[in-house]
Amino acid sequence: MVSNTTQENTNKEVRLPYQEQPNQHITLFAEPIFYSENFIVTNALLTSWVAVFIIAVLAFALRFKFREIPGKIQNLFEIIIDGALSMCDQVTGNRALSVKIFPIAISVFFFILINNWLGLLPLGGFGIVEEGEHGLTFVPFLRGGTADINTTLALAVMSVLGANIFGIFSIGAWKTFNKYVNLKILGEIFTKIRHEPTVVIVAPITFFVGLIEVVGEFAKIASLSFRLFGNVFAGEVLLVSMAALVAYIVPIPFMFLEILVGVIQALIFSILTVVYFTIGASDHDHEDEHTHTEQVATA
Amino acid sequence: MDSIISTFHIDWKIIIAQAVNFGIVFAVLYVFALKPLGKFMEERGKKIEAGINNAEKSNELLQKATEEYNQNTIKLKQISVNAHNELQRDLERLRADHVAKIKADNDEWVKKRTEQMAIDKKVLVEEAKSEITSLATLMVEKLIKDKTELKDL
Repeated sequence: MVSNTTQENTNKEVRLPYQEQPNQHITLFAEPIFYSENFIVTNALLTSWVAVFIIAVLAFALRFKFREIPGKIQNLFEIIIDGALSMCDQVTGNRALSVKIFPIAISVFFFILINNWLGLLPLGGFGIVEEGEHGLTFVPFLRGGTADINTTLALAVMSVLGANIFGIFSIGAWKTFNKYVNLKILGEIFTKIRHEPTVVIVAPITFFVGLIEVVGEFAKIASLSFRLFGNVFAGEVLLVSMAALVAYIVPIPFMFLEILVGVIQALIFSILTVVYFTIGASDHDHEDEHTHTEQVATA
Repeated sequence: MDSIISTFHIDWKIIIAQAVNFGIVFAVLYVFALKPLGKFMEERGKKIEAGINNAEKSNELLQKATEEYNQNTIKLKQISVNAHNELQRDLERLRADHVAKIKADNDEWVKKRTEQMAIDKKVLVEEAKSEITSLATLMVEKLIKDKTELKDL
């Protein structure tokens, strides 16, 4: 389904599809589909809306299928949830903490998974043809939501920011703040200098490490967002390349590969989210005390 | 930084839109799927736990009851054996008593009957004797009478 519809090209010469074959290439960024005042609706955003709709419909459908004695669908969902919770337990090592983090992690997982898989659907063959710098360009309606850096960036920011907010609620604002700007350790210079003179060297180093942690938080955002974007985008490039080389049969194994990659990437992102939340909720002072107590006990 | 933004078309509006999308997904999943399912699973877990506890208690009770039953069975067997022996002894004693009593009754009855038969025999003999005497008297009378009548003729 190809149609000539763009807002900007109304005054330009209209070329019919049979006059020129549109270029089919993948851009690093999501292409705009339509504009709503100052807001650009890209194909990745459109895919995300579809993903939200699908998840919402599935959640509604599941809600009314829940029974004390589970049916097939509920059983499957329970197996997924139970497995995911066990995996969460392996990361946190604490069921109570896992139960708190789990809803966010599983939401991240499903949101990314559906977005990844939607990009693989043949519905991507539906789109519009736009007049671009290199002639007519085909813009698909659906582009994997996670194949747009804006989506992965939003998720990464929420993950890292959420982990810190979770840390504030779990261990308190002061302790969370001291993870980055360790004023407490600077204060210990004056209190511990008599008993431990080495604190004069250790404390500034620890303080500096705390500052590096701030940089680390931005690194987390960058690594999370670019890893997911890179993998999904590379997958789409691979599929388009294969389809361009041999249109039939050959891309099928790569489609399966991308289905798998979609699951793995969603899993990695959600596990990392759990890890960041666990780190956010961990109290270094308490851990140090615990380690010290263990050392004393061992001695 | 600007080059990254322009290369990847990073747009804060789309970032916010995607964050909102994720927020909706989280809310919907939490309210309609995770929370109710968690509730169901927790209730079921509690029921299973209670069931297991009950089963353990029932098993303990069963074991106790079995032990009690076995002990009671042994006791009852002993009691029944004792009772059986006692009863057998009582029965033998009773039988002996009865036999002795019956024998004594029988002997007495035989004695009584023998005595009665002796009395009856004596009475019968006496009666027979008197009967014979009266018959003899009648015969003599009749003979005398007949001889007298013949003489008259």
